[in-house]
Amino acid sequence: MTQLILFNVANGLIIGAFYALMAIGLSLIMSLSDVINFAHGGFLAIGAYLAYTLSPYVGFWGGLILAPILTAILGLIAEKFLISRVYGRDPLYSLLLTFGLAFIIEDSTRFIWGAQSVPYDVPGWLMSPLSADYFFLTGYRMFMVALVALAVGGLFYVMNRTRLGLRIRAGTLDLETVSVLGVNVRVLRNLNFGIGIYLAGLAGVLAAGQLGLQPTIGASVIMPSFVAIIIGGLGSLTGTLLGGLLIGVASGLTAVFLPSATEAVIYVMMALVLLIRPQGLLGEEGRF
Amino acid sequence: MTKDGQLWRPTRRRLLQAGAVLGTAQLASPFVQIARAADVVKIGMDNPLTGTYAALGKNELIGAQMAADEINAKGGILGRKVELLVEDSTSGDAGVAVQKARKLIDRDQVNFIIGNVNSALAQAIANVANEKSVFHVVPGGHTDSVTGKDCHWNTFRVCNTTQTEANAVASTLVKKAGKKWYYLTPDYAFGHTLQAGLEAAGAKLGATKVGGALTPLGTTDFSSYLIKAQAANPDVIIFLQAGDDAVNALKQAVQFGLDKRFHLAGAQQELEVLEGLPPEARVGTWVFEWYWKQPKVAGVDAFVAETRKRTGGKVPTARHYFGHTAIWTCALAAEQAKTLDAVKMAKAMQGFQLPPEIAMMPDGAFYRAGQNQMIGDLYVGHAQSKGADDPEDLFVVDQVVNGKDVSPTLEETMCKQDWPA
Repeated sequence: MTQLILFNVANGLIIGAFYALMAIGLSLIMSLSDVINFAHGGFLAIGAYLAYTLSPYVGFWGGLILAPILTAILGLIAEKFLISRVYGRDPLYSLLLTFGLAFIIEDSTRFIWGAQSVPYDVPGWLMSPLSADYFFLTGYRMFMVALVALAVGGLFYVMNRTRLGLRIRAGTLDLETVSVLGVNVRVLRNLNFGIGIYLAGLAGVLAAGQLGLQPTIGASVIMPSFVAIIIGGLGSLTGTLLGGLLIGVASGLTAVFLPSATEAVIYVMMALVLLIRPQGLLGEEGRF
Repeated sequence: MTKDGQLWRPTRRRLLQAGAVLGTAQLASPFVQIARAADVVKIGMDNPLTGTYAALGKNELIGAQMAADEINAKGGILGRKVELLVEDSTSGDAGVAVQKARKLIDRDQVNFIIGNVNSALAQAIANVANEKSVFHVVPGGHTDSVTGKDCHWNTFRVCNTTQTEANAVASTLVKKAGKKWYYLTPDYAFGHTLQAGLEAAGAKLGATKVGGALTPLGTTDFSSYLIKAQAANPDVIIFLQAGDDAVNALKQAVQFGLDKRFHLAGAQQELEVLEGLPPEARVGTWVFEWYWKQPKVAGVDAFVAETRKRTGGKVPTARHYFGHTAIWTCALAAEQAKTLDAVKMAKAMQGFQLPPEIAMMPDGAFYRAGQNQMIGDLYVGHAQSKGADDPEDLFVVDQVVNGKDVSPTLEETMCKQDWPA
């Protein structure tokens, strides 16, 4: 029993890391642009499908590098021509826009790649467990965690050590002043959206390695990341990371005792956080 | 052009007039529909084209379209052309499925209604069809109750009941893999009845349940369930997931190397799922409800060739077969009864034996009287990573089981038909 619990805690951390990767992208966009990006899952699916299409030509690694970049470019275009038009309006506008965009993306992927799952393969040596006892620690999952750590570390570096990060952080707090100080807010938001979508594309490629790749892949994995943001707190990247890890472990532990409630438990946690600490564990008060 | 240069400037009166004309046109349209209805026989298809079951629904639609074309090439139904009207039921919203069924029946005046992949939606459509006395065929929704305790005189089903599938695979599992079974079951009607069916079938053969976990529909990460399953140390881990859930579960189980430590198996499996898995994850013992590689069975080769022509080279799956058989069932019912009257057609189909080139199964297929459930063959076998001479030959049939031998008796199904007086 102890072993079962320990296994599920470790496993929950792995799943949580993945949730966090998606959630951080979402959180970035939400903080600077006040846009709740419902199309995030759609971009995730695009990343996955692009990797699937590219991998016969450039291999798994080429796909892993190229697909998120291409997805980010699509994200920049979507931001420029669609999403930037509803900045400054009631959040409901952007919510409806991205909600519609999510449907358009899902049906487009279905039109292009078909409704049926397509087999996306990762290199054989990554696929096997590291040891028979710790069978859930496969090479691929360890690689995924390492990549998430790298992406999150890189993002923290950009945010805290570079001029772009400084401006994004400042913009999150007071966009008007940043704009008055001579920062091109339009470009800033565009780049920020691109970084968020890059993370979505990366999460998509990683997800496709262990899940079936079908048009609904984005919609089916995106909800927990919204929960992670709410639990962790809006506007706080550390909080979002923490939120992702927390719900991963919680749902892993629930699987030991009441398997059918693994999904429900994260929403119960969200409800509790909203009741007791509405701004989230590390969030600031007064957003949205 | 008006004086101030505008092309047309609507006045309030003009606008009201236009509205009135449009409104009248709306009212008039049903009469137009009825006039047209005399020329063609309409079959309404209320099946998923979006969401989780989109792939399965689309394959059923291809099969249905093929059948409609075949029927038209042979002169149609009772000398009238067949027209297929297609609606997207969504994959899980019974409200939408019912609304589409009502639209097809009330506005389009269909003579037959087909649907649905999702058992719950199939049942909802069955209830509407029963209320309106329309001949209804369920191509591929498996829950027992559709032709069991909630059966109707006018609802026919092509695919098997979950209990029949469970009975077909149980003895093979005990022989090949052992008697300690662990269940991973999707948490909705289909999964519950399938597990109950396997538990009942297994109990008769001495198999015991050493544990189980209910997985929410749409689960993507199965790792925590798999950790739990291996801790129970069973002989067999039984996967009852369908569609995308099945792809996710199997892909992860094989990445964890569980296929080397346990026997992976399940009841129903579909070619769509195996095609979506990477080659090394195509493992396990399963039941197929139809398979495209049956060299000695009438009609199969032609069906495969025609499907390949329409799908850019892909072979038919059980879903193409379900759609095809469902449409042919409508045509055969009308020809048999010599009328489009639903009651007479349903009466004519009681115990009806399908022609061999439509049944496409070694032992043939028939609709059981008093239940309207098609009983044909089931194909028990194992998945393979790659076919020797065809990349789509992903399943090896080890044994063809005659549905007559594994179907529950009519009493066991608890079906009581409610024929109109």
